[in-house]
Amino acid sequence: MIPALALVVGVVLGLVLEPTVPGALQPYLPIAVVAALDAVFGAVRAQLEGIFDDRVFVVSFVSNVLVAGLVVFLGDQLGVGGQLSTGVVVVLGIRIFSNAAAIRRRVFHA
Amino acid sequence: MSLLVDMMNNTLDEGYAERAARRAEGPAPAPRAPGRHRWTAGLALVAIGVVTGTAISQVRERQEASTGLRTELAAEVRKRTAQTESLADQAEQLRAEVAAAQAAALGADVAGRSATRRLEELGLASGTLAVRGPGVVVTLADAPEGAVAPDGSLRGGTSIDGRVQDRDLQDLVNGLKAAGAEAVSVNGIRLTALTAIRSAGEAVLVDFRLLSPPYVVRAIGDPDRLELELLDGPTGRRLATYTQLYGLGFEVERDASMSLPGASTRDLRSALPEEDRS
Repeated sequence: MIPALALVVGVVLGLVLEPTVPGALQPYLPIAVVAALDAVFGAVRAQLEGIFDDRVFVVSFVSNVLVAGLVVFLGDQLGVGGQLSTGVVVVLGIRIFSNAAAIRRRVFHA
Repeated sequence: MSLLVDMMNNTLDEGYAERAARRAEGPAPAPRAPGRHRWTAGLALVAIGVVTGTAISQVRERQEASTGLRTELAAEVRKRTAQTESLADQAEQLRAEVAAAQAAALGADVAGRSATRRLEELGLASGTLAVRGPGVVVTLADAPEGAVAPDGSLRGGTSIDGRVQDRDLQDLVNGLKAAGAEAVSVNGIRLTALTAIRSAGEAVLVDFRLLSPPYVVRAIGDPDRLELELLDGPTGRRLATYTQLYGLGFEVERDASMSLPGASTRDLRSALPEEDRS
């Protein structure tokens, strides 16, 4: 309950405050969102399996975002930023979907 | 393949399992303050939310900016088009003044009057002289929004098939000329032998000016002959087919009296010195 509330509060804060993001960082924002979502789904699944660990969660969130941003940044420097961000989104998307499936199996036993 | 399989199967961060295993085998880690790990996780979630919200608002902002730019550009185009039109009007007025001055200067003696006649003949042939007379008005229009072709496909709106294209207008103008038109104008732009009817993108340009449908083509000549020969000729048959196939609007009306403006004067291309003429 509290985690969900924290997430909602965060989204509302981001929407209301509209923080200005430096232009150089703007292309990485959507990638960061997908990476963060991956961390969240992983955490929910771990919680359901009883092995949730806050440290792992925080570290995985931060490293996910950083690595995804770094990969896309490198891609931008090499001229394949678009393709690499597609790759990142596909890989993280697959992870999100299978984690969501695992969560669904746990919750509904179906 | 193993990479892909691994990616599909091991979706949970391995850190969770590792920590759980370490906790199970080793001694319990030093107990931390009970509220603390809740806080870090909560903070991380707020951060995730902020990043998400920021990304959303960013995308929205960018969309707004681009639509704003588009309306600005559209307004600019409209302004410039109006400017072009007012300049064309001005040029028309000035041409009339020049013609009046010319008539006044040449009307004095016999040689001048014959020169005036010759100028008039040439102006009529070249299309630089404004003319008046009976003729026909042909209206070509795009297929109406949502028009449907016999095969059931949509022809109106955004479909390129339902749009009047430059070659349709060229065809129509040529057909009118073949039917004996002495002077032709499209949407108020007088055509000469050198006027281009072209397209740029989806728009039709006549004399390099942007036109929007419907296209009203006025032709001065014998109305009976014009109408008959246009409708019976290949052009009329072709356009009638397009009306059936693509839903284009094609209408021919007679007009007992209409006036066409003169074409914008061209650059002087050749001239002879006075003594060579005699």
